[in-house]
Amino acid sequence: MRTSLVTHDDGGVSAHLVDGAINATERLDIYRNTFAGALTTALRLSYPAVYRLVGTEFFKGATGFFIESFQPKSACLDDYGEEFPAFLSDFEPAASLAYLSDIARLEWAVNRALHAPDMEPLDTQRLVALAEVERAHVRFAPHPSLSLVRADHPADLIWRAVLEKDDAALSAIYPSADPVWLLAERLPTGVEVRRMSESAWRFTSALCDGKALAAALDEAPDLDAPALLAEHLAVGRFIDFSSNDTTENFP
Amino acid sequence: MGLHASPLRKARGSTPAKAGIGLRFRHHQEVLESHPAAAWFEVHTENYMGGGSAPAYLDEIRRDYPVSLHGTGLSLGSAEGLDTAHLERVRRTVERFDPGLLSEHLSWSVAGGIYLADLLPLPMTEEALEIVCRHVDQVQSHLKRRLLIENPSTYLQFRHSTIPEWEFLAATVKRTGCGILCDVNNIYVSACNHGWDASAYLAALRPEAVGEIHVAGHAERRLDGGRVLRIDDHGSRVAPEVWTLFAEALARFGPVPTLIEWDTDVPPLEVLVDEAARAEVMLEEAQRERAFAFAA
Repeated sequence: MRTSLVTHDDGGVSAHLVDGAINATERLDIYRNTFAGALTTALRLSYPAVYRLVGTEFFKGATGFFIESFQPKSACLDDYGEEFPAFLSDFEPAASLAYLSDIARLEWAVNRALHAPDMEPLDTQRLVALAEVERAHVRFAPHPSLSLVRADHPADLIWRAVLEKDDAALSAIYPSADPVWLLAERLPTGVEVRRMSESAWRFTSALCDGKALAAALDEAPDLDAPALLAEHLAVGRFIDFSSNDTTENFP
Repeated sequence: MGLHASPLRKARGSTPAKAGIGLRFRHHQEVLESHPAAAWFEVHTENYMGGGSAPAYLDEIRRDYPVSLHGTGLSLGSAEGLDTAHLERVRRTVERFDPGLLSEHLSWSVAGGIYLADLLPLPMTEEALEIVCRHVDQVQSHLKRRLLIENPSTYLQFRHSTIPEWEFLAATVKRTGCGILCDVNNIYVSACNHGWDASAYLAALRPEAVGEIHVAGHAERRLDGGRVLRIDDHGSRVAPEVWTLFAEALARFGPVPTLIEWDTDVPPLEVLVDEAARAEVMLEEAQRERAFAFAA
């Protein structure tokens, strides 16, 4: 029946079904529609700007191909569709919209920010208590709602204008403008997407990847790193740290 | 019941034999602000497993209303065993919200590690019964809670099925001690689709096992040649025939916590309150009949 739902091949299952006035294909169609409908809806909720940019028909077509290749691994459908941005970047019919996969990657970051588990920020008293020599080796565990996105196009501007249906703003954007470095996160006030400088993004990215503080500083030599690190800690972007010299697993 | 009546009680952890409403995201804020006349709310467990605003709203709402959790992802009929990671997510969600009622479906939805996003029908065989009972035992023991099992709407039957669905359900109750979430709309839909006798279905269920009732709207899909399949889409008001079957269920089971389910094209909250008020009138009648029966 799984084959029937995913690849529309009823050969295996239909021989096992009670027939009658309504045949096996017609009966299986009900389940196929629910399966495809539920996953298309999940993708539409996670990628609302992509949906609006390409329109209902195109979205349905693209998600139809996507669903054939990628099915959910869990019953939490908020987690479904992580591969959609990469799928779109290789999806030939979308080739003329070069910025589409950038928008999709930003939307996945926003989706993650919306649904990530609630976690307490790390207690900075524990950091203050560290000896000077230990500080260079500190590795942080980022809050699960935090994502860093580098986009070749001004994905944040396009995303906002599309969701706000602001055609004037949209027409003023040059999609081919310079790349942008973005941070998406959930704050007590809601989900925020903000731009960063390239060096701030590289420093933050290195920290989120679990690099030691000294190594992260090497990524961004021209940055006021202490100020940015203080902001990260104040906002609660890290939930834990380790301070030994190895790549220890975080809890 | 008026739309802005006060909540009936702060009965966290217990669910009254009154009419509740399926809570959807678009109504979160309005429920907090207007305190609608619903005796309790039910949510889909899987929608409250993460963090952020949805569970925060539910934390607020359950201060004023009993809340029940209705799962769609445990896949109790999967031959490959339960997804223990998902079971653990359910456990954490139950721990956080302390629901008055906890339910899942007599169906399967996971095969080869893939979640098929639907409540799929089981072959009604002794082998499937053993699998379902093993999984219900596993869930009840992990959650330390009694689970209610809901009868599904189905659109097909397997040739090798040997047990009628109502007997399958009754046997699951007998072997595991679980309860039944009797979805009256699903009985009606499946009975129409397969030519079953809906009243006989109800008669096969022991009243003391029925811990909750669902009513909902369904759609008719018209195929060529005048053939009709009824689809359980939860997208409209409860059909007159289903209200009639609900009355029959109440006459058999007595007053039971009853939920108005509406999941597609979710209407304004007052429509749901109106449907709940209709169920409530019937539940109060069932309460009176039970009182008379006792007094007599």
